[in-house]
Amino acid sequence: MEANAKRLSLKKERAPKKKMTKEKRVRYFKDNSPYLLMVLPAVLVVFLFNYLPIYGVLIAFQDFMPGDKILSDSTIWVGFQNFERFFSDPQFWPLMKNTFLICIIGFVIGFPLPIIVSLMLNAMKGKKTAKVLQTIFNGPHFISLVVLVGMLTLFFGRYGLVNNIAAHFGGERYSYFLESSAFRPMYILSSNWQDFGWSAIIYIAALSNVDPQQHEAAILDGATRFQRVMHVDLPAIMPMVSVMLIMSIGGLMGVGYEKALLMQTDGNLAVSELISTYVYKRGLTGVPDQAYATAIGLFNSIINVVLLIIANTTSKKFSENSLW
Amino acid sequence: MSEVVMKGLKKVYDNKVTAVHDVNLEIKDKEFIVLVGPSGCGKSTTLRMVAGLEEISDGELYIDGKLVNDVAPKDRDIAMVFQNYALYPHKTVYDNLAFALKLRKEPKDVIDKKVREVAEILDITQYLKRKPKALSGGQRQRVAIGRAMVRDPKVFLMDEPLSNLDAKLRNQMRAEIIKLRSRINTTFMYVTHDQTEAMTLGDRIVIMKDGYVNQIGTPQEVFNKPVNLFVAGFIGMPVMNFFDNCKLLLEDGKYYAEIRGVKFLLGDFQQKALKQINAKSCDIVAGIRPQHVTVGEGELSAKIEVSEMMGSEYNIHARTDKDEVVMLIPTVDLTTDVSMGKTINFTTRPHLIQLFDRETGNNIIWYDAESAANNAPVCKRYDF
Repeated sequence: MEANAKRLSLKKERAPKKKMTKEKRVRYFKDNSPYLLMVLPAVLVVFLFNYLPIYGVLIAFQDFMPGDKILSDSTIWVGFQNFERFFSDPQFWPLMKNTFLICIIGFVIGFPLPIIVSLMLNAMKGKKTAKVLQTIFNGPHFISLVVLVGMLTLFFGRYGLVNNIAAHFGGERYSYFLESSAFRPMYILSSNWQDFGWSAIIYIAALSNVDPQQHEAAILDGATRFQRVMHVDLPAIMPMVSVMLIMSIGGLMGVGYEKALLMQTDGNLAVSELISTYVYKRGLTGVPDQAYATAIGLFNSIINVVLLIIANTTSKKFSENSLW
Repeated sequence: MSEVVMKGLKKVYDNKVTAVHDVNLEIKDKEFIVLVGPSGCGKSTTLRMVAGLEEISDGELYIDGKLVNDVAPKDRDIAMVFQNYALYPHKTVYDNLAFALKLRKEPKDVIDKKVREVAEILDITQYLKRKPKALSGGQRQRVAIGRAMVRDPKVFLMDEPLSNLDAKLRNQMRAEIIKLRSRINTTFMYVTHDQTEAMTLGDRIVIMKDGYVNQIGTPQEVFNKPVNLFVAGFIGMPVMNFFDNCKLLLEDGKYYAEIRGVKFLLGDFQQKALKQINAKSCDIVAGIRPQHVTVGEGELSAKIEVSEMMGSEYNIHARTDKDEVVMLIPTVDLTTDVSMGKTINFTTRPHLIQLFDRETGNNIIWYDAESAANNAPVCKRYDF
């Protein structure tokens, strides 16, 4: 026992890493060639579509006109001018506020929702009912954004279902799409409705790994169903929750432009204009200012990377879970 | 008092598979009873019905005189140790031990006192702050036992608690359970597929097969008086030698067992018992334990195929014309050459021969039809 305790206390003292010799390296590649070959297509796709385009961020530091080559003798380098322009843009603070609020509120509601749903489905006695419900919850994920916004129009448009019911009972018709106050609730709740079931899958999978004997032990210990969820299920999925939390925080400011654009009207523009919609408009519509749009996009990405690093470091410090 | 009484206990699953058929068993207060049998025999299901983790399809279960069929597991005053420990991985050893008491809302000082007492008994005090993943298999199993102990239950249920340990640790833990039992002095129900565990731990052993109880008895009884071929083959290591197509002969008022043409005059007890049941000459399967074979004498002969020197004894696999015979021969005073390829003569002491009815597989002397009919088969008692 003592020896075991000693072994455990010495766990951190690891032998220094030995450098791989050339022969060992060759043998490693030879031994693992089938697996390396299998992973090659994925590496190629990631390189082509995720890493290669990074080259394009150079235009954020240039006076770039559509049709120009990214690197040529005539390239005009302007340093951080495009960034400075954005920081002094009157739209800067409204854009930051709108994006931040949509993301934060969406995150606060949307992150715990799939966890709660997965725990509830897992705790249900009728496993068949749970499976049916899970399938129903997954359905909305497959609805395209255009159709989803179309549905929102049918429900909340001036002559939509909600207004028709209100009118039937003598209420006034209300233009939800023209009201700034209605944009965020509609946007966030519909996004969460669409994705909570899909996001719950990963937690349901993690819950399926929980040893049933732990539940039985808890039953014998006298735990209620809720106590079992809190003391057995929730701790079991905590590593997964941590990873998902880090990833969510890392992508916090990465809200897409499609849905916001589809829901955007002159009435709600003050709150529906987000960094991503602004990048789209400045970079691809009207007289395109691609260097400026790239600088804004890059700024947004840097915020995400910083958030990711902070989240990962914090998680590493306070729990045993981290991405790296 | 913490007796457990099962009356016609039955478990039928939704897919109509009957896992346990009419188990009748009375476990006395402070008795250590072991359910043993091959995989799928229903031993764990029986234990889980007692724990309340499986619904009872039919029959009655009494703990401490109370019918508990519909009583929630937590209210049965039982504790269970699981095969894979079932410790809460995110809780420290202390919290694992204290969890049930916290749920009962016991005062903190009481919890602390109980946890430390149990930790002291199990020698895990130094690990109280560790999490289960930082413990070895044996230490984890101690924590699992401790978690059951802190509840001070009326009945202690153990479902193959040593199966996940290596052979050396298993022996060590087995000895610890024996010591533990003398300290906590409560009723134990222990499930295992390992006959060594069953024989060493149990006051009585329940041998199960295909959902049926085959025999209930003390370790000595199930070893010396097996009621059928299954029990005879299951208990004992190495497995009993069975000689098919043998005969029980009644000649001039004396009973003989004829094995491969050799007649053995049965012992006094067998003569009396066979007379009492008025046995007639019939076809039998004769059973001889490897430990009861003597080499270098007798009219039976076999060629040695494998001879394993085990230190204090030889483990010999030999072949006769029809049978493979396993022999366990002590090396002390052995004068016969038992090396591979040699042909040896062997015999046995006739009073140790087991006689099984060739048709039913039941032991002609020890099978008790009455207790078997009540689904609580024990070996037959004789009034002489």
